[in-house]
Amino acid sequence: MTDAGQPGCNASFAKTGVTAAPERAAQIRREFSDWLRGRFTLDATKASDVVLAVNEALANAAEFAYVTAQRPGVMHVRADYDGDAAVLTVTVTDEGAWRNTNPQPQHHRRGRGIPLIHALTDRATFDSTPTGTEVCLEWDHIFEIPTALPAKATRAQDCESRIT
Amino acid sequence: MTSPTSCAIEQRSVGEITVVSVTGTVDMLTAPQLEQAIGAAAKDSPAAVVVDLGAVEFLASAGMGVLVAAHGELIPAVRFVVVADGPATSRPLKLVGIADVVDLYPTLDEALAALAT
Repeated sequence: MTDAGQPGCNASFAKTGVTAAPERAAQIRREFSDWLRGRFTLDATKASDVVLAVNEALANAAEFAYVTAQRPGVMHVRADYDGDAAVLTVTVTDEGAWRNTNPQPQHHRRGRGIPLIHALTDRATFDSTPTGTEVCLEWDHIFEIPTALPAKATRAQDCESRIT
Repeated sequence: MTSPTSCAIEQRSVGEITVVSVTGTVDMLTAPQLEQAIGAAAKDSPAAVVVDLGAVEFLASAGMGVLVAAHGELIPAVRFVVVADGPATSRPLKLVGIADVVDLYPTLDEALAALAT
């Protein structure tokens, strides 16, 4: 699954084809957090909520998506901002089967990721099919840091990139 | 100094209480370290184990699960409390109801004072 080209590559955050493993999840979390804080005027609570919710979606993909596979599959993350509605949408997608084979982790240590996602977001949807799961997280009332430069000025870290 | 994705844990005694101080990130990668540290702290059967998350910048559900599991394993023989304050730690712990199960204090001083009673 690849993302279609965006007219302005600074419009969103996107990582496609990332190995669905804990180390990659942590790396994406860090990069996403940097992007978030550089783009939006979030208070500490909102910033923390967004990063944690995204982490939980990544962690689920990394931990459960490919549990029956012989090696880790991939996951994709993208963040889109609707300036008119002031809505930030983050989508985490995997191509595994965790929601079908292991819908509710049984171990008592686990199972809090999804309740946490619901508590930290304004809207969260989980769309599972036999070929993968898409988790869509949304936050309202998100505003960009005003910049003096025109929106066309591109920043390397905002462009789509591949990590394997 | 911890990197953005690592965790540093120290243990010390305050009387009969063992304090486990955590710095940095507690996520699916580093949560096993926390689990191990709490186990080591509890091994000598202190009166209580205090997990101080005051210097934790990021706490994922994996870390929260360790806290809940430790609480279940230690009490009542060993009291178990957590110190946490702020949007990254006490907020999510309260949001998912863990603060209703595990005693949570905003500062170490308050935790130690509560344990003294």
